[in-house]
Amino acid sequence: MIDIGRICVKIAGRDAGLKCVVVDVIDANFVMIDGETRRRKCNILHLEPLDKTVELKKNASHADVAKAFEKLGYEVHTTKAKKATTRPTHARKSKLAGPASAAGAAKAAPKPAAKPAAAKPVAEKKPAEPKKAAAPKAAPAEKKA
Amino acid sequence: MVEGKKRSRSFRRVYVRTPGGHNVIHYKSRKPSRPHCASCGTVIHGVKAMMSRAMHTVAKTKKRPERPYGGHLCSACMRRKIIEQARR
Repeated sequence: MIDIGRICVKIAGRDAGLKCVVVDVIDANFVMIDGETRRRKCNILHLEPLDKTVELKKNASHADVAKAFEKLGYEVHTTKAKKATTRPTHARKSKLAGPASAAGAAKAAPKPAAKPAAAKPVAEKKPAEPKKAAAPKAAPAEKKA
Repeated sequence: MVEGKKRSRSFRRVYVRTPGGHNVIHYKSRKPSRPHCASCGTVIHGVKAMMSRAMHTVAKTKKRPERPYGGHLCSACMRRKIIEQARR
C-alpha cells in the first residue's frame, strides 16, 4: 500500500493532519515523505494512506512534489535557505580597558558629557565607571589641558 | 492558635519533623486537578496543573503539546479523529 507516489495523511506529530507523498522507501518501517509537511523520514505507522497516487520518481525533489501537489490543489510551503551569518556577540563594557571605557562613557552620558567627552584625549588608561563618567573624566581632562 | 486564613480546607496540612525532633504542621496550597481528554477522559500529558494566575506568566508553548488538538484530546484520540477525517 505505501509505495513511492502514494499520498498519505500524517496522523502523529506537530504536522498531523497534513497531506504528504511517499518519496522513498527506506526500510520496512520508515519512508521519506514530502509535501505539505517538511521533507523528512517518517514511520509507516504514523501515516494513513489515501486512495490517490501521484507519478513521481524515486527521491523526487521538493520542486517536483510541489508541482504535483499544485495539480491536486494542495498548498505546499517552500522555505528559503537561511544565509549562514556570524553569531552576534555582545561586547561587554570593561572597567579596566582605556578606549573601551571612554567609548562606554560617551555612550552612557551623551547629553551632559557631550563637550567634555569630545575635548578629552582618546587613550586614557584610568579606570572609570560608565555612570559617573562625565564628572571625574572632565576634571582630569581639564587638568591635563 | 492557627491564623484564620490557614484554617480553610483549601490548604493541605503536611506534618513535618524538624531537626529538633518536634512535629510541626506546614500549610501548603492545593493544586487544581490535571486536565483530562475531552473524549476518553484520560489525563493529558504536557499540560501542567497550575492555577490560572500562574498560567498567565508561562509561555503558550509550555501549556500544551505542539500538535493538533493539543491540550484538548489525548494523542490516541487525536490520531483516531484524524484517521476518521482522512477516510471520509
